[in-house]
Amino acid sequence: MSLSILIAVLSGIGAGYFLLPTTNSSSIGIIIDIGLMILLFFVGIDIGRQKDVLDKIKKVGVKALLIPLAVTMGSIVGSMTAGLFLKMKINESGVIGAGLGWYSLSSTMLLAEGYVELSALAFLANVFREIAALIIIPLVAKHIGKLEAIAPAGATAMDTSLPVISKATDPQITVISFITGVSCTIIVPIILPIILKL
Amino acid sequence: MVVTTLIKYLGILLVGAIFGYKDMIKGKIAHNLDIIQTVCLLFLLFVMGITIGINEEILSNIFTIGIKAWIITIFTIGFSILFVYLVKRFIVLEEDSVEP
Repeated sequence: MSLSILIAVLSGIGAGYFLLPTTNSSSIGIIIDIGLMILLFFVGIDIGRQKDVLDKIKKVGVKALLIPLAVTMGSIVGSMTAGLFLKMKINESGVIGAGLGWYSLSSTMLLAEGYVELSALAFLANVFREIAALIIIPLVAKHIGKLEAIAPAGATAMDTSLPVISKATDPQITVISFITGVSCTIIVPIILPIILKL
Repeated sequence: MVVTTLIKYLGILLVGAIFGYKDMIKGKIAHNLDIIQTVCLLFLLFVMGITIGINEEILSNIFTIGIKAWIITIFTIGFSILFVYLVKRFIVLEEDSVEP
């Protein structure tokens, strides 16, 4: 999967550079907007099919929802802090952390809003987050804490990172991880436009 | 602007969730949901690549952007771990232990 993602982006860059150098970016914007809608619709289906999410939350307790909240706040504050060092505008740096590792949504949403360079940065930073998460989750679980091991995953805590978290922690943390991933997936499209307009 | 974007994205997500919850997607589409999502995602990433490819300014700055991205990633992960640690320490553990 990661190889096909790399190939898709690189061949797009090649196509843009060599074949379509004079393409009007506003016509691309419409394509992206439609593609984004389709993608979100299918993600929605995935969430809807997890009928036991509410039961799981009831079982663990509503305070399990504090974890996605902490992950979201931490991600945004973290990227804003990095933005201070990089001399970026606070809304533009914050929005990258608000992607919560969901690189396809954060980058295409920013592109749809007309931010080309920020979209590229959001794409890279959130891809890096997903890769880095897979590597450091076992380390965080071992040296800091099992609950903290969910934090690097962000929105991927329900899919890509879930097997790694499950292996590094225990069944209860795995359930909280899943809840965190679902919540983060719902939070990203809500919080991203809000942070961007700060 | 913020509100319309928000309603648009959240609305689509919600419509999808209702379709999924009520099992309204059946047959071939339900079986190939993963493939449809993957194709859609790869297509979007391809188009995103195009927007980068036609932008000389981004192409010439790609290494700077990559370094910036790593710095942001490190801070993002670090602070999210810190915030979960604080929640665990000051809120969750006061009531009763989540972590056995």
